Amino acid sequence: MLEKRIRDLLLDARAKARKQKLDAEFNFHRERSSLIRLGNSSVALSTFEELSRLDVTVQQGRKSGAYSLTSDITSSAQLDEALAIAANNCRAALEKDYDPIFGAVEESVDDSTGFDPALETLSPVAKTELCKRVVDTVKPMGKYDFSGSWSSGSTEMYYISTANDNEAFRRLTDGRFTMVLKEQEKKWELQVERTQKRAGEFSADDVIAGFKGMLPVYERNPGFKTHTNRQRVMFGPEAVSELLGLTVWGAFIGRMWEEKRAFSSHLKPGDRLFPEAITIADDPTNPNVYGMPFDFKGHRRHPRVICDKGILKSVLYDSATAARYKRQPTASDLGNDDFCLAPGTAPAGIDAGRKLAKDALYIPHLHYIHMPDPTKGMFTGSSRFNARLIKDGEFTAPLLSSRVTDTIPSVFSGIAAISSRTIPWNVSSTYDRRSPTAMSIPEYIICDNVRISDVADSF
Amino acid sequence: MSHELDRLAATVKTELKRMLDAGASFADARLYDEDRSERLTLYDGNLETNYDANERGIGIRTLYKGAWGFAATADLASIPACFDKALANAKAATLLPGFPKDMGPAQPAKGRYRPPVRQDPFEVPTPEKLALLSGIDVKLKDNAVAHRYVTAHFQRRRIFYWNSEGTEVDRWQLNTFGSMAVMAPDPQGRTQRRSMELFCSGDGTRGWEWIADPNAFGGHAERIRKELAEIVPAETLPPAKRDVILLPGQGYLQTHETIGHALELDRILGYELSFAGGSHVRVEHIGKLRYGSDKLNARAGIVPNSPGTFGFDDEGTPQRDYYLIKNGILVNVLSSRTDLAEANAKAGRVAIKESGTAARACAFYRTPIDRMTNINIDPGSDGTLDDIIAATENGVILDVPVSWSIGSNREHFHFGTEIAWEVKNGKKTKVYKNPTYHGHTLEFWNSLDKVGSKATWCLEQVPNCGKGEPNQIMELGHGIPVMRFRNVDTGEKE
Repeated sequence: MLEKRIRDLLLDARAKARKQKLDAEFNFHRERSSLIRLGNSSVALSTFEELSRLDVTVQQGRKSGAYSLTSDITSSAQLDEALAIAANNCRAALEKDYDPIFGAVEESVDDSTGFDPALETLSPVAKTELCKRVVDTVKPMGKYDFSGSWSSGSTEMYYISTANDNEAFRRLTDGRFTMVLKEQEKKWELQVERTQKRAGEFSADDVIAGFKGMLPVYERNPGFKTHTNRQRVMFGPEAVSELLGLTVWGAFIGRMWEEKRAFSSHLKPGDRLFPEAITIADDPTNPNVYGMPFDFKGHRRHPRVICDKGILKSVLYDSATAARYKRQPTASDLGNDDFCLAPGTAPAGIDAGRKLAKDALYIPHLHYIHMPDPTKGMFTGSSRFNARLIKDGEFTAPLLSSRVTDTIPSVFSGIAAISSRTIPWNVSSTYDRRSPTAMSIPEYIICDNVRISDVADSF
Repeated sequence: MSHELDRLAATVKTELKRMLDAGASFADARLYDEDRSERLTLYDGNLETNYDANERGIGIRTLYKGAWGFAATADLASIPACFDKALANAKAATLLPGFPKDMGPAQPAKGRYRPPVRQDPFEVPTPEKLALLSGIDVKLKDNAVAHRYVTAHFQRRRIFYWNSEGTEVDRWQLNTFGSMAVMAPDPQGRTQRRSMELFCSGDGTRGWEWIADPNAFGGHAERIRKELAEIVPAETLPPAKRDVILLPGQGYLQTHETIGHALELDRILGYELSFAGGSHVRVEHIGKLRYGSDKLNARAGIVPNSPGTFGFDDEGTPQRDYYLIKNGILVNVLSSRTDLAEANAKAGRVAIKESGTAARACAFYRTPIDRMTNINIDPGSDGTLDDIIAATENGVILDVPVSWSIGSNREHFHFGTEIAWEVKNGKKTKVYKNPTYHGHTLEFWNSLDKVGSKATWCLEQVPNCGKGEPNQIMELGHGIPVMRFRNVDTGEKE
């Protein structure tokens, strides 16, 4: 449970809100974050932040107002002031034309199962030493520069409201390691990424093996410039996570669907959206994700299949959208849902995937992906790290920058194979507060007739 | 300063000296005494966002044996421990050393900065702000409009900066942002949008009076509603090579993505490689590379009324105004003090003489990195928009981004915009929807052949430029004239 000193202050603030007859929600967030940043084969930056944030929301009928404070929370006076500002904002607010949903912790949660003290305190020295081993081993093999980052830390989230006496608390650790090798003259880039829940989940040897496995094809072959046409593409892990993220945003977000801006808006639950191979869930119990047990309106989170074998089952409603459109919220008041794309039946491993793909472009990352037209599910993004040509089941050449511009429904309709193995993929944003988010994704999917819209002469 | 601030300043100065005594070659601290933010959003008439926020804390950097360490805390009682953490982080970084970071010659400065403001938006009562937004919302409302929003966002920061060279800066930053949009489905079911952001000529003041000025904001509501009504039934822009006339509402993004980001020195040197990407530019190119046509003059400018104007950067260096591209030739890049020695060593000459005053951090808990300031295109001598239209045989006028995707080295791009007006034989003819265009950066800027005069020049605000790890969202400005580019790939073939 949350440190007693802070918890007592928050419970006291809740009692004061009740005394003032205010409907108030208190959301406390504390992070300890550290990061090393690599550039030009050195540690370019090493950071540490210890931050506490408190969000207070006050609701009165159809009005609401909020206040957020990032500061060291040490006194009840700070909470009194925060409550007063939120209450003032609420009083000054305009009434909505619907009844907003007030947050209430459905059942008390005290969950520290995802917390590893060793990852919380993983030192910059330990991180640097691992990176140094990789650099010292691989750099002499060519004209290489290394860059990347390694972010790790802990997050505590505590939510209460005046609706009842329940408390929801979560404490967890997370980490994301990214290392990029760039050839100084030919300019191709290789990347190794790892997602962490605990310390020691990967080693320098894993990273070295990752680079060594890719280097021969890059070193021995010039860049391959493909054509702008429709081709078989084997999407690797990060590209799959990007596609899954866009799919959820473009088809399963309640507000998008209700406002006819989703590419699923013309369908109703029970209708077919994708081929049978596609099953997507928001599943906090999946071992690959960080698994948030409650949302920031106090709803308990349970596994929810949103697309079952291609059939649209439901869309996701945050409380504001649910209230506005008179739907049930789906415990989606979060910045960090737990999206999972179900595995297929194709053999596990990227090497098995390339053999199966036979002749294809391998695009494991889609850089700067964007969805210009969500109503059609149209997206665009270009290849970057680790992209290669597959010929007769072998990686034969690095791929020059190739842009994919297609629609999600079209790409999924061309699915030829999905890996039977899923892996965790850290998609946490480090904008604003630490918010550990991972997806569970098949390590590859192979799709036919993917549109390559542009090719460059560079990587 | 208050008694508490005096006490904090004394603590910081003591600690800065202690860092030098402990072997650091440089240290600095940024104390955010206040970092307020207020956001109000009406979505379909409902007040969906109504919040206030404040952040208070300190961020500390130490440079030890050529390596950086950073630490931040909101606990102002533990400033000495935070200095220790920053130093320990720097020491850890020395285990995998690179080109030694070096601040160059000491540049002690003392100063203060206040943005031009007549009425502090945080002093304006919320009901008055909501009345303004509600009035605009009413003008956006229409049976043909499916959804609409209008939003106001205010920021006020009080930042104190000290470094071990004796620099002391006291800085206020105040920003006002506003945006509005209307949306409606077209007959094909695709949502079309028309929007606008609070803008100015670069002059004027940045307070409440700005967003309350109908010419700068609210007066555009009816225009965007009418333009949406033209977009919805329009045809999709057919693919073709044609001339492209970018209004400032789109020209700013073109400049931002293919000049601004490409010329950030940390990207050029490879320090952003694993995340945001690199750059097609090399330091050896400075003074030599033809980036665009003779008509292209781009600068890191100082504009009185812009979020990219801040008086002193986050290394305490007074902000400078300088050319990045002069008559089409790359002459400088966006830099801070940290990387000049490395850049010049790589160039084999003094390619960058002094800091580009681009060290900026978005909050006390983020470290300064090379950021855009005001990346402006100088106005040209090709007259008004009407003059440029009259000189165009076959082209489109494009405005306001809908989508953007750019190569990792900023060498190629693909943009979609809200609206296109066809230009045929010197006349604006009809509206097209779903316009897109794409190209290669240098080829594109070399095709620039018309640059509008000062009357076409607009200061567009960017409230949300993302970069860095941990990520930082930064506010900046782009002063942009109307520009014409020849023979550009437009529209989608499929």
